[in-house]
Amino acid sequence: MTRSRSKLTQARIVLGIAVLAFATFSVLVPDFLSAGNVSRLLQNVSILGILAMGMALSIIGRGIDLSMVASMAVSVAWMLAEMNTGASFAHAFGFALLFSIAVGVINGVLIAYVEIPPIFATLAMGTAIYGFGRVFLLASDVNYLPDDWQWLNTIATAAPLGIPVSVLCFAAVCGLGHLFLRGAREGRYIYMMGDNPQAARITGVPIRPMIVGQYVLTSLVALVAGLLMAALVATMNTRIVGSTYVYDIILVAVLGGISLSGGRGGAGSVIVGTLLIGILLNGMTMMNLGYTTQNVIKALILLAALTIDSLVNPRDEQTSQQGDI
Amino acid sequence: MTEPLVRLTQVTKEYFGVPAIRAVDFTVLAGEVHALVGENGAGKSTLTKVMVGITAPTSGTIAVDGTPVTLRSPAEALNLGLAMVFQETSLVPSMTVAQNLYLGQEHFFTRLRGMYIAAQQFLQSLNFNVDPMTPVAGLGAAQKQMVEIARAVLRKARLIIFDEPTAALTPEEKHHFFALIERLKTSGVAVVFISHAIEEALQIADRITVLRDGEIVTTDAASSFDRASIIRAMVGRTLSDELYTRKDGQTRPPQDLVLSVQNLSMGSMVRNTSFSVYAGQVTGIFGLIGSGRTETAKVVAGVLKRNLFHGGKVSLFSRAVRYRMPRQAMLDGVVYVTEDRKIEGFFEGMSIAENIFAGHLTARGPRIVSPAQMRDLASTWRDKLNIRAIDPGARVVELSGGNQQKVVVAKSLVQRPKLVIFDEPTRGVDVGAIAEIHAIIKGLADDGLAVMVISSYLPEVLNLSDRILVARQGRIVEEFAPQDATEETIMYAAVH
Repeated sequence: MTRSRSKLTQARIVLGIAVLAFATFSVLVPDFLSAGNVSRLLQNVSILGILAMGMALSIIGRGIDLSMVASMAVSVAWMLAEMNTGASFAHAFGFALLFSIAVGVINGVLIAYVEIPPIFATLAMGTAIYGFGRVFLLASDVNYLPDDWQWLNTIATAAPLGIPVSVLCFAAVCGLGHLFLRGAREGRYIYMMGDNPQAARITGVPIRPMIVGQYVLTSLVALVAGLLMAALVATMNTRIVGSTYVYDIILVAVLGGISLSGGRGGAGSVIVGTLLIGILLNGMTMMNLGYTTQNVIKALILLAALTIDSLVNPRDEQTSQQGDI
Repeated sequence: MTEPLVRLTQVTKEYFGVPAIRAVDFTVLAGEVHALVGENGAGKSTLTKVMVGITAPTSGTIAVDGTPVTLRSPAEALNLGLAMVFQETSLVPSMTVAQNLYLGQEHFFTRLRGMYIAAQQFLQSLNFNVDPMTPVAGLGAAQKQMVEIARAVLRKARLIIFDEPTAALTPEEKHHFFALIERLKTSGVAVVFISHAIEEALQIADRITVLRDGEIVTTDAASSFDRASIIRAMVGRTLSDELYTRKDGQTRPPQDLVLSVQNLSMGSMVRNTSFSVYAGQVTGIFGLIGSGRTETAKVVAGVLKRNLFHGGKVSLFSRAVRYRMPRQAMLDGVVYVTEDRKIEGFFEGMSIAENIFAGHLTARGPRIVSPAQMRDLASTWRDKLNIRAIDPGARVVELSGGNQQKVVVAKSLVQRPKLVIFDEPTRGVDVGAIAEIHAIIKGLADDGLAVMVISSYLPEVLNLSDRILVARQGRIVEEFAPQDATEETIMYAAVH
């Protein structure tokens, strides 16, 4: 967006914090700066980053998709299960693709046409998808990459020129996300809907079809993340649905400056949010901090970023939006 | 001479180094009605906010009853008897009138019955006809305002400040409101009100202060002003005559029939209304609030849907249409310029260019966005409509009301419409920009477009229209030619 006034956007602040954290860990933690660690750091968060890019698409359009993790896990697990029973890749992938699209369409229809608030519609959908998958599609929690497809794992864990393949995937998704949001007509529509849905409608944005499209896109990005995850660790564990992973995704997106009230932020926000979370998680793990302590620190960082944002870019009566967070 | 109730001495308030008011000396006498008038951005709101402790002045002193005070919060100001009633009411909709009156003053255990009895007695003592047991959500705008006023009086306010108190009121409600101000005045309460309606200020104020660019131009007894002299003081130039009188006395003849509405009905707001709009003309629609004008326009533009059964017929260029969403209407060449630009007009987080481009994009715009095209389009329309912004990258929300409105108009016109519906095109727009927006509207009709202008301001309707339709209770009831119409005849048709 052309915004010559407020130079200190949240994305820039977070980038600053990320650099600071990186510098601090480099001093405090031995081996933090080693090439192996940096590439591991990036590899660990690239899936989170891709999911956050998908989440960003919903949030910028003034929505949210809490069913992303379930959609990712069930569609990819189903694909692996089918491949293990001897189905061809095209066949299995087709199922996963259709499943993802169906999830997005149902989410979108519930939100756009039935007018259920996105947070509730997708929360319920997430549970429904997982239950449906476990009852009808999947025999077990964990589904493995078939033996004759292990070469995929080799490729995914490779690092040409020192850059892990998963990071390249993350970069590609963010690049496409950026091109779509800034360059495509529908991307601009998403910003318009997020900024002011009523004005977008009167201006002639087909709001309801756009909402459906937005959730289909989010679901498809989740599928991409799921495929990468399956290739990277050679399994898809559906128990991830029950974890706090979806909140990490929201944390990354919001941290980078994608306001939950919609219409703000972009692919750059996702990248800086992912970097900061990656640096923190990696640094804290290398410092042997426990899982719970890490969660507390993540939460405090989020609060700090939001506080700084609201101090630097104060929202008064005139500029506040409904549901502003 | 007694000390005034409130005295501001050399008060300056700066926002980020930009002064909103500059070295203002202002007094409010006990029991007077004082009107504040000025263009948008003249500093009226800032001045009142300083008086009730919402914002602290950058420099200068405030004295209440001659004693210098520092107001740190609205609560402190209220303790000194200074209260403000906002444009958007601060009542809790789901609570009853009585609960709202005593909000924040409840005891730990409150007897509802006792509260209702006390509220009833109190409202009666003010001669307010409001049932204390109705929820506030069920009240009209005027009654809500009454409750707000009652609350201020209940807290022993000696000065009540109103920000645009009559903007949301119908003429009858305005009448009640003026009577109420009279009663407040006789009971010794001072009233300060901000108003854009100059007649009101002349009618009910004892003194009038005119602000321009953050400075007080003049303060004097209301009797020493007239309409023209106020406007002259507001804008620093004589504008009133050229603004609201037709110079030519000519009306444009109707060309092709563009829109024909027959027996249109929508809920309880639009009842069986019929009218036509022709190309090359401005069709003015006058009606009071609740006459269904906005709803009719929104049905035509696809923003609202008409009744499924017995909804009537809408024909565009002799083709029956029924729109489910504004996009379809827009693609057929119908655009609606809203009366509430903040809520459904512009995208506040976006720049002028992005806003105008949004209109272009939805109307058969390119699939791929080109920043260069966006800039060109913006500069074309900035020149065409004379949109003024110090910083071209500024967000629309940072512009003045008039420039915001021009951006919304540009966003609609860039869609190359055949029928443009303006709903209250000059609401919240400064005097200078009103003339420009009027010129834009006339220019569209001269170019052969069909133009509908909905307005509740009679001089505006009379000035712009080639035909005047009057709406009453959800239906178009009369048509006038502007040369035969006077403010009185139109108003006579509009009131029930």
